[in-house]
Amino acid sequence: MDERDTQDPLRDLEQRLDKARRGRKREASGAGAEGGSGIPGNALGLALRIGTELVVAVVVATAIGWACDRWLGTRPWGMIVFFFLGVAAGMMNVWRAVKGMGMAVGYRQPPSAERDKDADWSDDED
Amino acid sequence: MAIENPLHQFTIERLIPIHIGGVDASYTNSALLMTIAVVLVTGFVVLTTRGAALVPGRWQSVTEMFYEFVVNMVDNNAGHGARPYLPFIFTLFAFILCGNLLGLIPYSFTFTSHIIVTFALAVTVFIGVTIIGIARHGFRFLSLFVPHGVPVVLLVLLVPIELLSYCIRPFTLSIRLFANMLAGHTMLVIFAGFVATLGVAGVLPIAVDTALELLELLVAVLQAYVFAILSCLYLADALHLH
Repeated sequence: MDERDTQDPLRDLEQRLDKARRGRKREASGAGAEGGSGIPGNALGLALRIGTELVVAVVVATAIGWACDRWLGTRPWGMIVFFFLGVAAGMMNVWRAVKGMGMAVGYRQPPSAERDKDADWSDDED
Repeated sequence: MAIENPLHQFTIERLIPIHIGGVDASYTNSALLMTIAVVLVTGFVVLTTRGAALVPGRWQSVTEMFYEFVVNMVDNNAGHGARPYLPFIFTLFAFILCGNLLGLIPYSFTFTSHIIVTFALAVTVFIGVTIIGIARHGFRFLSLFVPHGVPVVLLVLLVPIELLSYCIRPFTLSIRLFANMLAGHTMLVIFAGFVATLGVAGVLPIAVDTALELLELLVAVLQAYVFAILSCLYLADALHLH
């Protein structure tokens, strides 16, 4: 860049950067409102999350149940109870991950959307 | 000709055996790769921003883009008040990303393909986030497990589920990264094992491996991203109770 008048081009650059940033922000929020057709990286990241979320919840919960049984000698009740809890937790996590898709991969709706839908009971679970 | 054991690549080798009071604290190939990752990331960031100019050069703008990417990630996912934890998320992301990418170099070692490494990272995040939550909100932090607007009868069922889904976090976080790296690298070696035995037709597995390597490149970047973004989301949970 020219050294002669650094002041002016820089100010110009700053203005252009500001404009570009605002444009990008609007774009991003627009994509969020439509419900997750945003950046492909985000969508792919979400897709990769969901599988493990479901499987690991069940496996870990069952393992906890098994450990409880060993410790307390309550076989097979701990394993049964924790298995079902794990399934429920896994499904809940997946549901949350999908639902919070608007702004980003999330556990919760973005604050503005949360306020809009406050009357809806299904949005109050977390 | 024997096909190489696809899991051999994951063996830990003691490079410098160190035993302290019966504890095996040897410097292993895994530790070596971690050291390289740390040195690489630190070196890159320090060197490229040393002569920091207002109008960045090529290398400096790489670092700046990476930094801004992480800043945006933290701002968008952890919300306001999360900036103090930016250095941690940045370090975490850079370390995992570097580890994943280093593992893609043939004959190197992927430390993120070991569950104990990813689990240690995930538990660090989990404990840190829990402490932040308790320090910020005290007992109100426990309201995270009590969904509001739910009949009391259902709470008996829902609170354990919430608690469980919270405690499962370090496991999902670590298993996701570890399983992806393990599976991808095992597959690469399995296909590579066919190359020698198939003779001329060995071109096919080479083609598959080339494609897989590119896919693994995507997975490496994406898994580091997912790990960092989930840490941000967990942080957001602890910072802003609902």
